[in-house]
Amino acid sequence: MEGNKRYDGKLKQAFLKWVVLCFLLVPGLKCIGQDSTLTAISNPRGAPPEMKMSELRSVLMGEKQRWNDGTKVVIAMLKSTTPLGEVISKRVYSMSGDGVRGFWARISFAGKYDLPNVFNNVSELENFVAQNPGAIAILGRPSGNDVRVVLIDGKKAF
Amino acid sequence: MLSKSNSLRSLAIAMAILCASPKLFSQNTIIQNTHIRGFIDALAGYQNGKVSFGFGEQDLFITSELHDRISFLGETVFKFTPGTPTEFSVSIERVVIKYNYFGNHNLLIGKHHTPINYWNDTYHHGRVFFPTIERPLLFAANFIPLHTTGMSLQGQNLGKLRFGYDFMVGNGLGSDEVSDNDTYKSYTAAIHIKPVENLRIGASYYNDVISKGANVHGKQVNWQVNQQLFTGSVAYFGNKFEVLAEGTLASDKTDTTGNQTSSAAYLYAGFKIKEKFIPYIRIDNLQYGDGEIYFTKDNTTSFVGGIRYVINYLAVVKLEYQHTHTQISGDLNKVTFQFAIGF
Repeated sequence: MEGNKRYDGKLKQAFLKWVVLCFLLVPGLKCIGQDSTLTAISNPRGAPPEMKMSELRSVLMGEKQRWNDGTKVVIAMLKSTTPLGEVISKRVYSMSGDGVRGFWARISFAGKYDLPNVFNNVSELENFVAQNPGAIAILGRPSGNDVRVVLIDGKKAF
Repeated sequence: MLSKSNSLRSLAIAMAILCASPKLFSQNTIIQNTHIRGFIDALAGYQNGKVSFGFGEQDLFITSELHDRISFLGETVFKFTPGTPTEFSVSIERVVIKYNYFGNHNLLIGKHHTPINYWNDTYHHGRVFFPTIERPLLFAANFIPLHTTGMSLQGQNLGKLRFGYDFMVGNGLGSDEVSDNDTYKSYTAAIHIKPVENLRIGASYYNDVISKGANVHGKQVNWQVNQQLFTGSVAYFGNKFEVLAEGTLASDKTDTTGNQTSSAAYLYAGFKIKEKFIPYIRIDNLQYGDGEIYFTKDNTTSFVGGIRYVINYLAVVKLEYQHTHTQISGDLNKVTFQFAIGF
């Protein structure tokens, strides 16, 4: 009888621990999918050190051909089929990854803007931005020192 | 004489822009970035008691960045052309060399889709992007000049209203791809604004003098025609609703008939019931002046109702019913299924 009670108590404790763990994990998992912190990086030449979110969005939508110093705006993107690419599509373009690919297909077909440079992984993307004046990109967290972090609405990450 | 001096002036302006900043040509490294794409659609249709299968134009689309300021766009179409030895022909639809001379301002030289309205300036030959299976009827009726070989100044996304302009001078109707058939030039002036996201409001003016004896769209013009086209358009492609309304008023003046006015318009509306399902309608109307002699006078009204399913951005299927009433042929009904792809 006593043994059964002890067993029930342990079961209750284990269940409570499991419930608490679930409460802690679920929002955390949600964060990875939707609330990933993004950073705008650029080549030291071209993009200004600070931009508004609306300006960044406008640039990434192909609405600006030249930076104020005359350097060509070169958009670099992570493939929108990657998990981070999908997050960037939603957060920056307010579109699905497929929607972003369609947007660029339409805009280049109309002859309005050159297609962006697309990369499979963050290191390739970062190298490209470091090597090409006027380049700008969005990623999770920059690892190299050859790129400049562009402050968006005064913040390093958004 | 006036026309000749205008042409020379246009050429001089273009050369001045090109030469204005020679440093810009030399200070940047040459990078080439070429993309090749293709588009095609397969069709099945029911009309007059029979089912027919077919396919549309095969479109080859190339873009290339040649320099920091220079890019190229080419669009070549392979299409069924009865009467030719292979029953197919190759057609150069666009050849555009773009020079970005300052900010969002460009000089374009080559064969263009005349930026006279939203549809002609946006969709070109990639059927996968069309909101309906076919173009609005004003295209098939040759109401507007689809192509212009010439040069233009273009500006995009300027200021808060995201103002845009296209000022184009070209060979005009009746000319071929390599030379003008007369001394007159065609002039297009188009402006638009994008005051809020997904909305574009535009207007354009087109003027050309079509010489007596010119061959336009396979038809000989027996009188000199001074043509003016006034176009207005509103396009909204939002997350839920899609609306595209465009209208063109044509004024054709000849010595014998005086000024004749005709009009062509269409309204497209779509509603996304889900992200990938879009039921839509399109209403077309073509009305010709009583004394019209330049266009084929065939007053037409049409209703299109259909559904579009977007598999992904490069694969779209559409099912459509169309009822057309024309002055010459009477009532026509057809059902069409289209599978359009990009590759």
